[in-house]
Amino acid sequence: MATVREKGYTHWDGKLGERRFPWWPITRTGILLAFRKKRFKFIFAGAFIPSIVFLVGLYISERLEDFKAIIQGSDRLLNIDPKYFATYLTGDWLFFLIVLVLAYGAGGLIADDLKHNSLQLYFSRPLGKKDYLIGKMSVIAFFVLILTALPGLLLVVFKLVFAGSFKFFLQYPWLPLSVLGFSALLTVFFAFYVLLLSALSKNSRYVFVLTFGTYIFSTVLYGILNGIFRTPYMALFSIPANLRQAGAFIFGQKLPFAFPAVWSFAVLAGICVLAAAVLNRKIRSVEVIK
Amino acid sequence: MSIEVKDLSFRYGKIVALDGVTMRLGEGAVGLLGPNGAGKSTLLRILLGFLVPERGEGRVLDYDIRREQAMIRRSVGYMPESDCFVAGMDAVTFTSYFGELSGMPRQEAMKRAHEVLFYVGLGESRYRLLDTYSAGMKQRLKLAQALVHDPKILFLDEPTSNLDPTGRAEVLELIRDISAHKSIQVLLSSHILDDIEELCETVVILNKGKLAAEGRMADLRAINYSLYELRLKGDGEAFRKDLESAGCRVDEMEDGLVKVYMPGAADPMDIFRAAGRTGAQLRYFIKSRTSLEDLFAGVVGVD
Repeated sequence: MATVREKGYTHWDGKLGERRFPWWPITRTGILLAFRKKRFKFIFAGAFIPSIVFLVGLYISERLEDFKAIIQGSDRLLNIDPKYFATYLTGDWLFFLIVLVLAYGAGGLIADDLKHNSLQLYFSRPLGKKDYLIGKMSVIAFFVLILTALPGLLLVVFKLVFAGSFKFFLQYPWLPLSVLGFSALLTVFFAFYVLLLSALSKNSRYVFVLTFGTYIFSTVLYGILNGIFRTPYMALFSIPANLRQAGAFIFGQKLPFAFPAVWSFAVLAGICVLAAAVLNRKIRSVEVIK
Repeated sequence: MSIEVKDLSFRYGKIVALDGVTMRLGEGAVGLLGPNGAGKSTLLRILLGFLVPERGEGRVLDYDIRREQAMIRRSVGYMPESDCFVAGMDAVTFTSYFGELSGMPRQEAMKRAHEVLFYVGLGESRYRLLDTYSAGMKQRLKLAQALVHDPKILFLDEPTSNLDPTGRAEVLELIRDISAHKSIQVLLSSHILDDIEELCETVVILNKGKLAAEGRMADLRAINYSLYELRLKGDGEAFRKDLESAGCRVDEMEDGLVKVYMPGAADPMDIFRAAGRTGAQLRYFIKSRTSLEDLFAGVVGVD
């Protein structure tokens, strides 16, 4: 009889513990696996370009005298107030980059597990469905927060550093909370949105297309319906429009669409509820043994 | 007893998957046999805590299958039938990952992953991406992830499926070593009767959701029936009907060999009497040692 053992089996003398956060290995591994993709590193690095641009703008606004020759009418152009931060966090380019990063780095979070039948391995461990989903959502939370909350708060800090005083903070003490609040909203929404699409296919490439396609199609649909019905309510069909509307509300800015922000919050919440229902149905331990 | 279930019943809608199964399994390797739809997978699902039984109760390592599912999963290693891995990982990361998810500290899980990968014969390829693994390597990898947290019981679902003869022999050798020398109990579900016959001392046969037979292989062979192999000349049909009316099961093989399964209490001379009554000539007669296949056919009624 052939012997394949290169070493004998020894019992492990440790003790299996109950983790406080049993989902943490799923999150850490999900993040590491995303960074193992070469293209993802470039996409992720590129996603910081808007924050760098805004940081430069912030610096220039405090050194207007030095840049007078370059910038004309700078007083109006670089007026740093909550709108400046809202512009960064609710900008279409940032949403686009977040979708790009998530489609590439997180699209396969559930799709790959479905494709390679690994759900049965997860659920044969002392893990619940809740732990599994929290672990996967935390991967998305990491990427979204690092592109929103982190630069947003750093911009506030750099504004204070460049200004050399706390005057700005005393003027808008709620601004960091708005940054955190809107970042949290984006995190929750994108976590449900990406996981929903990831659970609908076993092919991460299809998920990539679905993630982008749904995002862009919603805006195209808004454009078509708005052209037909001529009512701002058609913006409710657009994902980025709803995010902008919610963001403007959180930052206390003028709403970009002429309808109450609560409608946009309701649409975003509806998508999350739909996603939760689909995930609850798709991620089931009874399917683990075929 | 490491596994004990009592009056276990479960149905998928109107389809009865398990119907009042009661059994107690002790140490060593246990084979779980049954045709498709017999309830093997449902039984494993219930034992792992994935399904809540409609009726009945059960304990795995003294943990209640209804209330202490997490403890059961911590103590059980599960090797599924289908290929399963996490894309983009190498074997060490994969194995230690599932060790961590079982509750091992990260560094310990990594150290242990190296050990079990060497044990299953994947030591040299432990840093290779899993996407490049062959079917045999993936099979061993599944065994490694099931062993990484040093379980007390291993649930193996078709562990030798899709393997070539050499790979099958290697995996069987590993399972034999684990069950015989490492004080890890093995519950082996397989449709390959030879595997179970080679590895298991105890067998559980399920049929149509019910327990068809359970016990030590030697006892089952002795108690249930006696098997005789014979060759005939003459009216085989009348001979077969005569024996069947006496409670025997008669199977004719393609090569003309006739297998007669006689109830435990029956007299083998009845075969000769039946031949005399029907005018058949017995040209060959031998009392056969029952193989698991015969046992399975006798109990379940399929070849």
